[in-house]
Amino acid sequence: MSSVAAPVDRDDLVDREVVLRFLLSAAFWLVFAPTIGVILSVKFNYYDFLGNVSWLTWGRLRPVHVMGVVFGAFSSAIVGLTYYMVPRLCGVRMYKENWSRALVWIWNIALTAALVSLPLGQNIGIEAGEFPLWANVIIEIALILITIQVIVTVVRRKEPRIYVTLWYLTAAYVWTVFNYAFGHFILPYSMPGVNNAAMHGLYIHYVVGLWITPAGLAVIYYFLPLSAQRPLYSHKLSLVGFWSLAFFYPFVGTHHYIYSPIPYWTQTIAIVASMMLIIPVWTVLQNFYGTFVGNWKRFQESYTAKFLIIGALYYLIGCFQGSTEALRGVQRLTHFTDFVIAHSHLTVFGTFILWVTAGMYYVIPRVSGHELYSKALAQWHYWLTLTGFSLMAAVLTLQGLMQGTMLEVGADFVDSMVVMKPYWFTRTLAGATMDIGALLGMWNFYMTVVHGRRIEAPASGAAAPEPLWT
Amino acid sequence: MVQHEHKEDPGEISHYEFSGIDERHGRIPRWLGFVYVVMLIWMVYYLVRFWTDKG
Repeated sequence: MSSVAAPVDRDDLVDREVVLRFLLSAAFWLVFAPTIGVILSVKFNYYDFLGNVSWLTWGRLRPVHVMGVVFGAFSSAIVGLTYYMVPRLCGVRMYKENWSRALVWIWNIALTAALVSLPLGQNIGIEAGEFPLWANVIIEIALILITIQVIVTVVRRKEPRIYVTLWYLTAAYVWTVFNYAFGHFILPYSMPGVNNAAMHGLYIHYVVGLWITPAGLAVIYYFLPLSAQRPLYSHKLSLVGFWSLAFFYPFVGTHHYIYSPIPYWTQTIAIVASMMLIIPVWTVLQNFYGTFVGNWKRFQESYTAKFLIIGALYYLIGCFQGSTEALRGVQRLTHFTDFVIAHSHLTVFGTFILWVTAGMYYVIPRVSGHELYSKALAQWHYWLTLTGFSLMAAVLTLQGLMQGTMLEVGADFVDSMVVMKPYWFTRTLAGATMDIGALLGMWNFYMTVVHGRRIEAPASGAAAPEPLWT
Repeated sequence: MVQHEHKEDPGEISHYEFSGIDERHGRIPRWLGFVYVVMLIWMVYYLVRFWTDKG
């Protein structure tokens, strides 16, 4: 295998072992959770596939896929990257590092047990908040501890200015501590009926908009200037992007319930807020492309840059879909169709999972002290992800529009399902393609850590990091 | 006495020592400012027009 040279960083501020443990566990979840998605997609093609075993039925496995992606793959990677980014942005080591070492195990054991309990039928019944109570208590405590670590580290920083990554990360953790408690300890046990549905709309979109989005944006703002090897285009745009997201996102959630008994004006506010998200999204993307302009050759050279750039393309498409599908006319056509599934995959996987993957390509060689194990595996990871995911997003979008149009003109529901068969089959193939890509990528990370070639000291005389786990 | 207003140079670069990140003070491009204005006008229109269901 050919290895890829990684620049040397002295990560004296970072607990490299904790970062690696979190990122390698994220690598496992990044393969596991999408694989469940592929298995689920097969059920569309063969309705009785794994249908006779209760714990492998659709209703039991679907939450494993969703919760596995959100809290396993994405969140584990974000926590690992947090422990890398925050000390380097603050110029001090993380507050209470011994907490982090315990949290690696607590986080992953709780996640594993919770994800096993879902197919066994222990589900509290709130979409995207389905873990059983005991797991939620552990995860909430873990989130509170990480939030305290982040805030205290920021307060004790030596760096005089607070970089945009720290605004987004701090906000994401604080918002999520409250939202996780709201979705897991309040919603399932109070507010019956339509009020519960309205609040659930808020909860589920806070997971996306006040956790996944700001934490993901924290990642790109950190790795974008480093991988582009250029200054960030505009601090001013960072301010507009952050505050417009913070102002508009809290009102978005009710757009899940357009044409429902929820008050009309509430739905209107949600529609307006959804459309107004065009402001933070286009602002972030202007900052993104403005930073890369003049150094596009980094797209050829750096896997971090490659994954950041294609993630940004999917961000543009997925968020435009999300904003416009809230409009009443578009909602009438697309609700209950695969168009919605296209949107959720474009944003959660296409954008944020790919952005944290970009971060992993940057961080893992540096903290392990090893060069990336294989350029060939990284290329396969990139191309299988790009082709598989682009095909999946296109197919889901197209079939969603077809379903919606057929139902709009009065076609029979079953007939609309029959027409979908070739599209669902293509979706399974596309999902398997990107899943194989992810498997190769994550294997490459693992091999980098255990068998990668040691990073050599640069000519400048700076010391190379001591390899971990050889 | 003449008061001189302090304006930050949009090309001014801040350096973050420990992370190695550089950041321009930067500016908001005109086309994006135009998008902000259009969206804000549309927001007011939509809220007024669709606050209640007029059947």
